[in-house]
Amino acid sequence: MRRLVILFLLGLGLCAGRLATAHHSFAAVFDGEKNVTMTGEVVSVEWMNPHFHFSIDVKDAGGTVTRWRFEGYPPNMLVRQGWQRDETLTAGATVTVEGWAARSEPNLGAVRWVTLADGRKLAGGPPAGTGGR
Amino acid sequence: MNSLRIGLAAAAAILAVLTAPLGAQPSAERPAPRTADGKPDMSGIWVATGAILLFEGEEAFAAARAADAAAGRPPGNSGQVPPYNPEAEAQRQYFLGRQGIDDPMARCLLTGVPRIKFRPLPFEIVQLPDRVIMLYEIHHAFRIIPTDGRPPPEDAEPSYLGESVAHWDGDTLVVDVTSFNDKTWLSGVGTIHTEALRVTERYTRDSFETIRYEATMEDPAVLTKPFTIRETFRLRPDERIREYECIESNEDIQRFERLLQGQPTEKAP
Repeated sequence: MRRLVILFLLGLGLCAGRLATAHHSFAAVFDGEKNVTMTGEVVSVEWMNPHFHFSIDVKDAGGTVTRWRFEGYPPNMLVRQGWQRDETLTAGATVTVEGWAARSEPNLGAVRWVTLADGRKLAGGPPAGTGGR
Repeated sequence: MNSLRIGLAAAAAILAVLTAPLGAQPSAERPAPRTADGKPDMSGIWVATGAILLFEGEEAFAAARAADAAAGRPPGNSGQVPPYNPEAEAQRQYFLGRQGIDDPMARCLLTGVPRIKFRPLPFEIVQLPDRVIMLYEIHHAFRIIPTDGRPPPEDAEPSYLGESVAHWDGDTLVVDVTSFNDKTWLSGVGTIHTEALRVTERYTRDSFETIRYEATMEDPAVLTKPFTIRETFRLRPDERIREYECIESNEDIQRFERLLQGQPTEKAP
């Protein structure tokens, strides 16, 4: 079994949070200043409208596993970013996710980028507060 | 493939700027096509320039902005705040303070005019001799706009997209939109309006690749003066209008209810 390399960063966003005027719900649920980057193993993928969701298990240095759930583009936007249903993101794959954490809910995030095991980096959702999620 | 296409587009835009003869107005863009009756043809699949960032990425967005600058087209201003009277501005601040939780679009309600024009999803214009049909990917919304000189319908009910009728002002298609309800926002969070809202849209296909768009909003109950938003729509002939279903798994609605009750937005895992 390959060891999962875990990287979890929680930092200040640049100015993402200030773009909130454009989006319908990003700012209500997510915090554009809570950047997160983490690597984990895909548990499930929900290819749904108006947002797709996926969950990953993230293991910390002590071996504790935390399940994160991410929300992103609808399928019509995913295919335009190069995604293929049932092929791009599959259970068991190791991926690195960049995005933003929810304001009040632990382990919920809005995805911006997903880096796949083969090195491809695909947009999984819009920049914070810009709409289109 | 995608990045190659975007790179080529950026290179083409830069080349167009560098090779444009001095004083040429506009730049060496292909002219707008015309229909059999001599009108500029708006038909095609279009994306707002401001949405190109999400739709195609940073390089394509930069190329679009460079092409607009070269052709003398002003950048879009859909983020501008309308000139509200103090009461309306106080309401906008209230909605801003609630982080947009009241956004009608987040509840999958139809997005009004002009806000629907700036969504990061394409729309198709089908131009016929007596009407123009606009098909929006977002919400599967559509507008059927008569261009045969008829007045707005007398039995119109207040609605999300309003009632549209159009006429030609030279090469510009002018769409008058009235009979709005007061349940949509004009552009950003909290940009309220009343049923008295009247929107005048101007569509000018100023090159093969672009439509120059202006929407002027008048609503004396909340606006201190008419307010105009500008944007450039870009032709995307290789696109097609895809399905977008807003209700299926929209978890925002439940989250908002929990947030408004002061509860966490999700159940514990």
